[in-house]
Amino acid sequence: MFSASVGFDTFVFPQVRIAANFIIHAPPGEFNEVFNDVRLLLNSDNLLREGAAQAFAQYNMDQFTPAKLDGSEDQVLITEHGDLGHGRFFDPRKKQSFKFDHLRKEASEPQSHEGEVALRPWRDACDEALRAYVKDHYPTGVCTVYGKTIDGQQTIIACIEGHQFQPKNFWNGRCRSEWKFTISQPTAQVVGVLKIQVHYYEDGNVQLVSHKDVQESLIISNEVQTAKEFVKIIENAENEYQTAITENYQTMSDTTFKALRRQLPVTRTKIDWNKILSYKIGKEMQNA
Amino acid sequence: VRVIVRVCACDCVRVIVCVPSLCEDLLSSVDQPLKIARDKVVGKDYLLCDYNRDGDSYRCSTEYRDLYFEGGVSSVYLWDLDHGFAGVILIKKAGDGSKKIKGCWDSIHVVEVQVRAGAPLPVQTGINNVNCFYLPNLGNMDMENKIRSTLNEIYFGKTKDIVNGLRSIESLPDNQKYRQLQRELSQVLTQRQIYID
Repeated sequence: MFSASVGFDTFVFPQVRIAANFIIHAPPGEFNEVFNDVRLLLNSDNLLREGAAQAFAQYNMDQFTPAKLDGSEDQVLITEHGDLGHGRFFDPRKKQSFKFDHLRKEASEPQSHEGEVALRPWRDACDEALRAYVKDHYPTGVCTVYGKTIDGQQTIIACIEGHQFQPKNFWNGRCRSEWKFTISQPTAQVVGVLKIQVHYYEDGNVQLVSHKDVQESLIISNEVQTAKEFVKIIENAENEYQTAITENYQTMSDTTFKALRRQLPVTRTKIDWNKILSYKIGKEMQNA
Repeated sequence: VRVIVRVCACDCVRVIVCVPSLCEDLLSSVDQPLKIARDKVVGKDYLLCDYNRDGDSYRCSTEYRDLYFEGGVSSVYLWDLDHGFAGVILIKKAGDGSKKIKGCWDSIHVVEVQVRAGAPLPVQTGINNVNCFYLPNLGNMDMENKIRSTLNEIYFGKTKDIVNGLRSIESLPDNQKYRQLQRELSQVLTQRQIYID
């Protein structure tokens, strides 16, 4: 029997690949709406569930979807760094793994999970410093910090997410950032990527989709001092990014948008249509 | 479908692959970015849309376009109705691509002019394009200005506000105070009204 793998289904049914593509690109907070629309288009729940299962997981990991286990106020982010396979994810702060239902967005079946012990002191120091920063700047922010050895390099990965979903007011927004550095050398390169996506669709449809790549140097000393400076780099870069976006709105309004269509004609007065008409009639009578 | 403008044309095709019976409906109800074609005989660009797939075309007054758009391409297509005429006015202006900024403005205005039975006809003074008579009425329907203002102030302004609600450059005051600020911001955003008459 052919397995219901993504490969087979998308080969035989290109609609499955198309459906998965729509789902992966759903704006923040609109996964369910896109899912339901796509369900109608595909008209086969089995095909959708089996063929697009990977898309549901991919979406949550891309979006840094926050997850909460029953009995805890604390949230952990669903990311590729915490993917343990078989639908389970790692919560490095609680040293737990859990099962995650990508459609219902529910966490369950917690189990103890150690993570990399050698990196624990660095991970914990960065997590503590980052938590204070996130609380200070993100009204609804969540962060998760991983300590992992990747290609032989001991790496700290910090993920931040903040969102506001207000579908009743026709808008949704989310920002995400991911910051990495390795502790193998005395000076490290901090690499960051910042993303913002906002969708406003009251009587119209406007999206802001923005991202920025950042690179900075960081001196590796002890865990606490390094964590402090790591977070300082993050704070400065994210402040700068947000300021630039705000300034861009003014620039865009003054230049680009005006270059597309002016508010007033170059004459700075609204057109007098009767004048144009009589000018035109006059011209044509001349040419006649 | 909730996708950003630049991928819109590809997504229409994707939806049609999934449900071929939607083809006609989709193509007629979803506005695609206007395509430019060249009239080699006259040496001028013109715009393509659903309305001029077959039939005649007429050149439009370029005064309005140049005053507001300082360039760009425009086309007007008119067709007779039983009691008047209808038309579509197309305008396309692309940004010049300088200063790492890309953009495009497409306008599609569809108008219908009803001439009441028994109304006096405009005097024919030997001008071919008698529809010039209606030009001041059409020109004064200032939809574009209203939409442009709305885009600038409400749509762009609101997305900026949302960004600043996701993250604060200044340190947040203690939690209680901030939740209050957040509630106020929500109210302000809800109160912004859009008027397009």
